[in-house]
Amino acid sequence: MNAMAIEVRNLSKRYGSGNGGVLALDRVNLSIRKGSVFGLLGPNGAGKTTLIKVLTGISDITEGDAQVSGFDVRRESLEVRARIGWVAAEVILDDDFSGWENLWLQAKLQDLKDWEGRAKQLLEYFSLLDRKDDKVSHYSTGMRKKLEIALALLHQPVVIFMDEPTIGLDVSTRRMLWDIVTGIHKEFGVTVLLTSHYIEEADALCDRIAIIDEGRIIAEGTPSELKARVRADIVQLETSEVLDPKVLSVLPGVEEVRAQGNDWMIRVHSSEEFLPRLFAAIPTDQIRRISVEKPSLETVFLELTGHRLGQEEPMRDIRKFYAQMRRARS
Amino acid sequence: MRSQFWGLYVREILRTFRNPFVLLITLVQPFMWLAFFGSSFGNVPKSYLEGLFGTSNYIEFLLPGVLSTSMLSVGMFGSMSTIQDKRFGFMKRILITPTSKEIIFLSKALGSATRGLVQIPVMVGAAVAFGVAFTLSPLEWLAWVTALLCLAIGFSSLFLAVTAPSTDWQTPGVVSNFITMPLMFASSSLFPATQFPTWMQAISSVNPITFSALLGRSFVLGRVTEWSYLGYLAIFAAGMLTIGYFVSARWLKVE
Repeated sequence: MNAMAIEVRNLSKRYGSGNGGVLALDRVNLSIRKGSVFGLLGPNGAGKTTLIKVLTGISDITEGDAQVSGFDVRRESLEVRARIGWVAAEVILDDDFSGWENLWLQAKLQDLKDWEGRAKQLLEYFSLLDRKDDKVSHYSTGMRKKLEIALALLHQPVVIFMDEPTIGLDVSTRRMLWDIVTGIHKEFGVTVLLTSHYIEEADALCDRIAIIDEGRIIAEGTPSELKARVRADIVQLETSEVLDPKVLSVLPGVEEVRAQGNDWMIRVHSSEEFLPRLFAAIPTDQIRRISVEKPSLETVFLELTGHRLGQEEPMRDIRKFYAQMRRARS
Repeated sequence: MRSQFWGLYVREILRTFRNPFVLLITLVQPFMWLAFFGSSFGNVPKSYLEGLFGTSNYIEFLLPGVLSTSMLSVGMFGSMSTIQDKRFGFMKRILITPTSKEIIFLSKALGSATRGLVQIPVMVGAAVAFGVAFTLSPLEWLAWVTALLCLAIGFSSLFLAVTAPSTDWQTPGVVSNFITMPLMFASSSLFPATQFPTWMQAISSVNPITFSALLGRSFVLGRVTEWSYLGYLAIFAAGMLTIGYFVSARWLKVE
């Protein structure tokens, strides 16, 4: 039996043709194990949603192959669609219908015979049973999101695709949704493929993460594996006086020093050991601002792409800084 | 497949009747046609009306025509619901289930045609209020409703075929309007085609609205019925249904 819920081989997706065309996915390879929560992390326009559209059959594949639950996405589309659930970034329900009627319609679309028991179980799980006969237009955002997840789970899918599930939600609803994702994964044993551009979300929820940028998967692993790629801490420093870089670079544990005017980015082995040495080396009244960044998915993303998530234009100096550090390391 | 068709068909019907505003407009609009357009010959001498329309009550002449043009509007309204489903993402929700594009088309076309039939009792009731006396046999009622159903299925399929390949929500509306006006006026739904210029008569002579209006009028005014018109309308419905089916299967797009 295939242990993989999703397998993608050299998958490319191009919108349009010729020079005006856009390569939204560029030779993507992925293997997602059954029963895992897998995160696709990347900025807007990186290709996350395109990958979901291709895997769910909404968009055609330009090149390459993809299988979901052992079925070919192109040739066995109906088989794939019987085994997947989908939670959109924006909640999509029929507002003229009640919660129960939305479930009824989903059961019809999935051609389910005995669905009522499962539907009640899901409504109870999501604390919606007493509101099942209310029109969904009267539901709160959190309730609508829960109902959408219940619809996605009704036919006991192998994989649920969650496209930016918490975008636009307030902090408490986002936390509630995190609990739901963790909960449904444990309770129903479903594989979850979620896309996000929130690093803390991917870190909190996912067993494995693929970082996607400009249509390419640039790294993949568990959150700890990815964080281990950046073993050093980054100390950012602003001084009131011009310093000689040697004052910093000779300090023990310093791996790299980069200056831009009075702003410094110092890569150190351990910030805990470095900071007392720093304060001993330069007068504290010359330090205007200091911050420490521990290894995180954010620093991994920054190191791999040269820009931060949510930052549309890469900061050239930071990119150069990290490029130099990569070269220095290799 | 039956289950998916039934789910989407019921959704089409329920959505209309759950929206009080849409329901009100659906029911009041035909009435307004009879009240306003039907009264436009109010002060014309009866002998003139007899000569032109074959009846002194213009509403008697107008009713089968307005019911026929209503089926045209119903078809257009059905295609708008497809655009709405695409815009609000519901079409994606449907397509990420094992529901084929053909089933989506059939449920939309037949759902919108069913919605159109609701206008018949309302219009007939309104016509009675305006002094029209109906002496149709059950067979004639059945034939008239069947003709209107064929027309509604044909136009719903035509407009859905226009909407299916488009991801833009404005173009299908403009194209539908472009089709609607000539079809409505180049038919004998509002006036007898004998008064038209030759080129309009040519359009009217192949326009399914004309066949439906003439068939209905023959029942209401007690004229000789051309039963072949019913066959023509059945062919129109089947032809458009087939075209819409294959266009949707091949080109129904959500983005």
